[in-house]
Amino acid sequence: MLKSSQIDPNNYLIKQLPKATAFLNKKLEVIYASDQWIEDFEFSNGKVIGKKIGELLTHLSKDLQKDFKDCLKGNNGSGIKECYNVKDNPKKWNEWTNIPWYDEKENIIGVIVQTESITQKINNIPNIERLQLLIEEKSSNSSIGSWQYDAELNSLWWCEMSKQIHEVPKDFAPKIETFIDFFKEGHSKNTISMAFFEASEKGISWKEELQIVTEKGNEKWIITTGKPIYKNDKCIGLVGTFQDINEQVITNKKTEENELLLRTLIDSLPMNVFVKDLDSRKILVNKSELNFLGLKHESEALGKTDFDFLNKKNAQIGREEDIMVMENGIPMLKKETTNIKKDGTTTSFLTSKIPIKGANGKITGLVGLSLDISDLKKKEEELKNLINVTSLQNKKLVNFAHIVSHNLRSHTANFSMLLEFLVSEKDEEEKQNLINMLVEASDHLLETLNNLNEVVVINTNVNLKKQNICLNKKIKSVEKNLSVFLKNKNVNIINNIGDNVKIKAIPAYLDSILTNFFTNSVMYKSPDRDPIIKLSSSSENGYTILSISDNGLGIDLKKYGDKLFGMYKTFHNNPDAKGIGLFLAKNQIEAMNGKITTSSEVGKGTTFNIHFNENN
Amino acid sequence: MKIINSIFIIDDDPITVFGIRKMLDRTVEFNTISTYGNGKLALDGILKVLKNGKAIPEVIFLDINMPIMDGWQFLEEFIVLPIEEKVRINIVTSSIDPADYENWGHYNDKSHHLITFNTKPIKCSEIAAITKPAE
Repeated sequence: MLKSSQIDPNNYLIKQLPKATAFLNKKLEVIYASDQWIEDFEFSNGKVIGKKIGELLTHLSKDLQKDFKDCLKGNNGSGIKECYNVKDNPKKWNEWTNIPWYDEKENIIGVIVQTESITQKINNIPNIERLQLLIEEKSSNSSIGSWQYDAELNSLWWCEMSKQIHEVPKDFAPKIETFIDFFKEGHSKNTISMAFFEASEKGISWKEELQIVTEKGNEKWIITTGKPIYKNDKCIGLVGTFQDINEQVITNKKTEENELLLRTLIDSLPMNVFVKDLDSRKILVNKSELNFLGLKHESEALGKTDFDFLNKKNAQIGREEDIMVMENGIPMLKKETTNIKKDGTTTSFLTSKIPIKGANGKITGLVGLSLDISDLKKKEEELKNLINVTSLQNKKLVNFAHIVSHNLRSHTANFSMLLEFLVSEKDEEEKQNLINMLVEASDHLLETLNNLNEVVVINTNVNLKKQNICLNKKIKSVEKNLSVFLKNKNVNIINNIGDNVKIKAIPAYLDSILTNFFTNSVMYKSPDRDPIIKLSSSSENGYTILSISDNGLGIDLKKYGDKLFGMYKTFHNNPDAKGIGLFLAKNQIEAMNGKITTSSEVGKGTTFNIHFNENN
Repeated sequence: MKIINSIFIIDDDPITVFGIRKMLDRTVEFNTISTYGNGKLALDGILKVLKNGKAIPEVIFLDINMPIMDGWQFLEEFIVLPIEEKVRINIVTSSIDPADYENWGHYNDKSHHLITFNTKPIKCSEIAAITKPAE
């Protein structure tokens, strides 16, 4: 039977089996074999049947040999994984499933062998190991631990990292109660309880940032996730992760705190702080700067430039400063700047701009600090004005002191001299002459004192208030008072002033001023022509200007300009000139915060421009 | 004492002119005294003297504060005149302004003439000393 096996129908049947199968007799000689088996082991066809398995496969393992023996004894084989080299091929792996071969009478007549190529499976094993290692590595590096919950068994499993995170020993056996108990009382515990419930009952996954208290009592921030697992639409458990983010959270909190501190600091600084990028766009502004810009929220200023807030010329200057600072890397320190906003409000700043360098040393923008010094400037201006006023007053005082000393001294010197003569004079006639001169000197002294007194009154009388006066009305009243004098001298007054022109002046001073200038014009009239006085008015820089032009002698201002309004200064051979009229007029004009300018041409005439201050 | 040929008094105050004249009459021998009411008149007088080839004054009493041309303006013009002789110029002023004193120093340095600074009143006892012609 065995010999005719080649034509045995059994053989033909077995030959076609889809799996690699072989029938070995008790001597472990191949009786039947499927083509698949022959192919798997790459045996040459025809040289297999009748050959001993040990001849076909030279390095049969002891396990396999033992397995064959077990089968021959009537035991089922135990599934052997066997490796062997096929020709030049790398290792090939097969799993052997051997069972006893019985005949019809249940006698063991050999072994039925079935093999399955598991080369690919075996080769995959290291991959899985590698993957596992990788996961472990990853979990320890990223501090992510995993957990599983089996609902049926009500058992919880933590990976090693999970145990590390909770600071429990390696042999710690977590339970579902402890899982929740580790979370900090309050928000964390409530949140996880709810999440756990929602996941198991409603199938909702979670990802929460919560605090746990570890076995050692340390508080820690973790991210925990959970996800239900389903089998046949039934939740059979949960899987999830723990991630230790304590350092991150603490760092973040610290950073947040630092940022808050910095923000509070720059917002509380009594100066404008701003950060600009290379295009001079604002990327940070503090509260003072916001207030200056008239904005409420930083977002309204971010990304904008000075051109959005300041007038164009002003913004251009700022941009040029920015470019200088950012191109040269040299800070601009404490520069006095004036910022004019689009609505015209002007603010003076002491501004510094400091370049900001990035990590690579390249300039990325600038930080600006501007101190509002408008108040300071205003005070400085006030101080300057005060100094001007004071020095002017002082100058006047010194001037006045000289006038007093000079004019009084000249008279007293005369007294002294005349008295010296008188004492030693014998001649009665000469004595009388000297006495006459003394009387004359006394009269002069009295007059001088009166004049000086008048000046003192003008400069010290602060009680006289300026009033709104219709200029023409006053001119007409002065003309009337001087009518006889003017008529006698054939004076023609041409008045071009409108009736609506009003000035602010002290009435008595205005009377005196007009009288003095009118008589002055007549006194210094040209001998060749009758006097003409032209009056006109204009307005300029807060002053109403009264111009009085005459066609008189004129005066060489180059020679006499600085003395024109001096006391007792006369410039023509005029016996009536006392050199007091213009001096007094000037004092009165200045006492009303006005000023006077003069133009003159010798032989043609003089124009006085009297500036009346429109303010009180 | 040598007789002084010509003396100028330049002052707009008639009492001062009278006083100086009177003191000179008493103490000094001279030929002529000319008086001028301001610097301009005096300058015109001197120019006339120069033009006519007559003797220029040896002593001038000069007031500072005068109309039209004051003492300083007179000096400014006088010191540049072609006068070789050393003229004595006595500034006589009631001013005690330091600026006037400085001005005097300025002209004194600039000129070859003898310029003195005197404050009013001039005493009889002093007049002879300041009327000695410059040497």
